[in-house]
Amino acid sequence: MKDYGVTRALSGVDLVVAPGEIHGLVGHNGAGKSTLMRILSGLEKPSAGSIEFDGADVSALWSARRAESAGVRMAYQELSLAPDLTVAENAFLSDRRRIRSLGWRRAAETRIAAVLDEVFPGHGIELPRFVGELAMAERQVVEIARALCSEPPALLILDEPTESLGVDAMRQLYRYLHVLAGRGVSILLISHRMNEVLEHSDRISVLKDGRTVLTRAAADTDEDELLVAMGGEVRGESSRVHDVPESATSLGAGAVVASAALPGSSLPFQARAGEIVGLAGLAGQGQDELLDRLWFTRLSRRIAVPRRRAYVPGDRQTSGIFPLWSVADNLAVAAARQLARVGFVPRARRRALADGWVQSLSIKGGARAPITSLSGGNQQKVLVARAFATDAPLVLLNDPFRGVDVATKDELYTLMKTEAARGRCIVWYSTENKEVAHCDRVYVFRAGRIVAELAGADITEERVIAESFDEHQPTPARGDRGDRS
Amino acid sequence: MSAISTTLPGLRRRTVIGARHSVPGALSLVAMIVIFVIAAVNQPGILSVYGITLMLTAAVPLLLAAQAQMLIMSVGDIDLGIGQLVGLVTVIAATLLSTDPALGVLALVGIVAVYGLLAVIVQKRNVPSIIATLGMSFVWLGLALQLLPTPGGATPEWLGQLSAWRPTWIPAPVVWIVAITLVAWLIAKRSRFGTRMRALGSSPATLGRAGVSLTRTRVLTYVAAAVLAVLAGLVLASQTQSGDANSASNFTLVTIAAVILGGGNFSGGQSFPIGTTFGVVTLALITVLLGLINLSSSLQSAAQGIIVLAVLAGRIITERFVR
Repeated sequence: MKDYGVTRALSGVDLVVAPGEIHGLVGHNGAGKSTLMRILSGLEKPSAGSIEFDGADVSALWSARRAESAGVRMAYQELSLAPDLTVAENAFLSDRRRIRSLGWRRAAETRIAAVLDEVFPGHGIELPRFVGELAMAERQVVEIARALCSEPPALLILDEPTESLGVDAMRQLYRYLHVLAGRGVSILLISHRMNEVLEHSDRISVLKDGRTVLTRAAADTDEDELLVAMGGEVRGESSRVHDVPESATSLGAGAVVASAALPGSSLPFQARAGEIVGLAGLAGQGQDELLDRLWFTRLSRRIAVPRRRAYVPGDRQTSGIFPLWSVADNLAVAAARQLARVGFVPRARRRALADGWVQSLSIKGGARAPITSLSGGNQQKVLVARAFATDAPLVLLNDPFRGVDVATKDELYTLMKTEAARGRCIVWYSTENKEVAHCDRVYVFRAGRIVAELAGADITEERVIAESFDEHQPTPARGDRGDRS
Repeated sequence: MSAISTTLPGLRRRTVIGARHSVPGALSLVAMIVIFVIAAVNQPGILSVYGITLMLTAAVPLLLAAQAQMLIMSVGDIDLGIGQLVGLVTVIAATLLSTDPALGVLALVGIVAVYGLLAVIVQKRNVPSIIATLGMSFVWLGLALQLLPTPGGATPEWLGQLSAWRPTWIPAPVVWIVAITLVAWLIAKRSRFGTRMRALGSSPATLGRAGVSLTRTRVLTYVAAAVLAVLAGLVLASQTQSGDANSASNFTLVTIAAVILGGGNFSGGQSFPIGTTFGVVTLALITVLLGLINLSSSLQSAAQGIIVLAVLAGRIITERFVR
C-alpha cells in the first residue's frame, strides 16, 4: 500500500493519494496549491506536519533529491524549460537515468522521442529545435513529456497541464493518464478546468486558504459543489457579473474604434466603443496575430486603430510584470503619461492611482508589496489594472485569465463590463470558450481567418465550438467520455 | 521502433534547423570572407602559406581568450579582467616559469583556482560578474607589474618552440585555430557539461529544478575559461618571447566584440564557438587590411570600430529578415 500524506500546521492540508489513482486538486490561486506541490516535490520543507511515502514517514528526510529518486515527477505550469536549449537537451537535464557518454545526444533524443510518441502520437515536434522556437502548446507538450522522461514515476504531479494544450493533445494526455493509473502510478491533477477534473479524476480534493475543505469521489460530486467548496462567492458568479448596469451594453455600440481587414477573411474585423469583442476558436488559429497587428500597427497598412492603446499579455512571466518593481510601480507604469505634470510623475498621484485600483480589485498584498510576492491571480489583476488605468480607448487582452481562479475572473469580468459601459472598446482573445458569454460580439477564428461573427443570443459555447471546427462536419466536440477507461 | 524514427528528423531537416540556429553568427563569416577578398586583391602576396601565417599568427592567442570569454558569456556573465590576466600569464611565463618552473606552474594553477572562487562569489553572493572581474583585472595588473615592471624577461626554451613550428604545406595558425575551435565546440555544444552550462545562462531555475548544482556548473565554466585564458597567455608569450603586463590589455574588449560578432549575446544561454572564431579572424583581418591600405595608424582603431558596428548592424537586420 502506498500513501502520500501532507499536513501543514499553518493551514491543515490532509491529502492522501492512493496508488493508481487520479486525484484532482482544485482551488483558488493563493489557496496553497503551489506550496503543496513544492513540498511534495521536496523543494520546500514543511514547518510542521508529516509526509508519508509508501507507508513510511519520510517528513524528516524529504528533499528534492529524495523525492526525485522516490519517483515524484512534476510538470509545471510556469514552464520549467530552458528556451535556448533544444527539446532533447531539456529532457536530458532532468533525466536521472544514466546515459552513455559517447553519442549521448542521440540517446537523449531517442528517449524523449519515445515518450512523445507514446503520449502524444503525431505531435510533430522537431527535437533539434530550441524550445524557445516552439509554440506555447508545443512547449506544454514538451514539458509534460519531459516530466515523464526519466525513471518510471510513482507520483506524477501535473499543474494545469491542459491550459495551453490543443484539443487533440488534451485528449491524448488524458488517455495516457488513465493508462499510467492502470499501471499503478498515482497522479495528482491540478486544474481550473472543472469539467476535465470531474471527468478524469477518481477523487477530487478542494483546497481553500491552505486547507483541504473537501475530498470526494468524482462520481459523487458536481461542479456546483466544488465551486461552493472553493469559496462562497463563486455561487454568485452569474448574478455578480450581471450586476453591472446593462444600459451601456444594450445601448448599442458607438463609433468604430478599431478595424482591420485580414487576408483571406471575408468578414472584416471591427470593434466599436463600449463593446467587448471576443476572439474565439481553437488556440493558435490567428487570434494572436490579429492582436499583434492591432498593437504593432506598423506591421500592416490595412488596419485602423486609435493612437493610444493598452495591452494585457497572457504570459505574465515573460511579457507582463517588472519583477523588481512594486505593485504600485507595475500598475502605474502605463498611465505615466496621463499622471505626469510637466514631464514628471508626482509620487502622490501615482500612489493614489495604485491605491484606488488595489482597493477596487482587492489585490492582496497592497500597493507597496513587491510584485513577485503576489500570487499568480493577483499579479494578473495588477496587469489588467495597468491597462485599464490608462486612458486608452482601445484595450487588447491576450488570453489573460489562463490559470486564474474563478473568483478573480469574476471580479475582472465585472471590471471589463464596467469599463466597456464607460465607452472603452475591449478586444479580448480567450481560449476558454465559457468566457464568450461575457462578450457583446464574438469573432471565431479558424486557420488564420475569421470564419464567423456571433452576436446576441448566438453567443454560446456550443456555437463557438461548432464554428471552430470544419464547417462541413459539425464535430461532436463536447465531452470525450468515451475515452474514460 | 518505426514510431520513433518518424520523430527523429533526418539529416536534411537537421541541417536546415542547424543553419537557422547559426544565423546570428553567419554574418561574421560573410564579413570575414569579404575582408579577406579585399585584402587579397590589394596584396596578392598574402595568398601564400607564409602570408596567411603572418596574417593570422596574432589571432591564435586572441582566439583562445575569445573562446574563454565565450564560455563565460554563455552563462550570462562577462569577464572584464581577461586582458590583464593574459598579460599576467605572459609575465609569469617570462619570469617564474624559466627561473623556477615549479613555482610558475603553481602560479598558473593558482590563477585557475581563483577563477573557480570568483564563480562561487558570483553565484552565492549575487555579485555581478562585471564587478568581480573588473576588480580582479586590477589585481592581475598589479601582480604582473610587481613581477616585471618593464616588458622583458625570457621565456623557457620549450615555450618558444611552440610557435617555431612552421610546416611548409599549411599555415600553422590555421591548424591552431581549427583545433581550438573544435575543442571549444565540443565543450560548449556537444558535451553534457556544455548543455548544463547553457542551461545556467538560459534559465537557472530550470537547471536547479533538474537537480543540478548551479554553483558547480558556474565554477566549472569559469575554470574552463581560466584554462583557456592561461593558454592564451602562454601562446602569446611564446610568440613574443617575453613578458609584458600590458601586452594584451586590449584583449578584454576585443574578445567581447568577437563573441558578439560571432552571434553571442550578453544575456547568455547560447554559445557560438564557431561564430566566435569567425569574429576573431574578422577582427584580425581588419587590422591587416587597414595596414595594407596605408591608413594612418592613428585612425586604425576608429576604422576598426566602424567596421565592427557595421557588421553588428547587418546582423540585426538579417536576423529580422529571417524571423
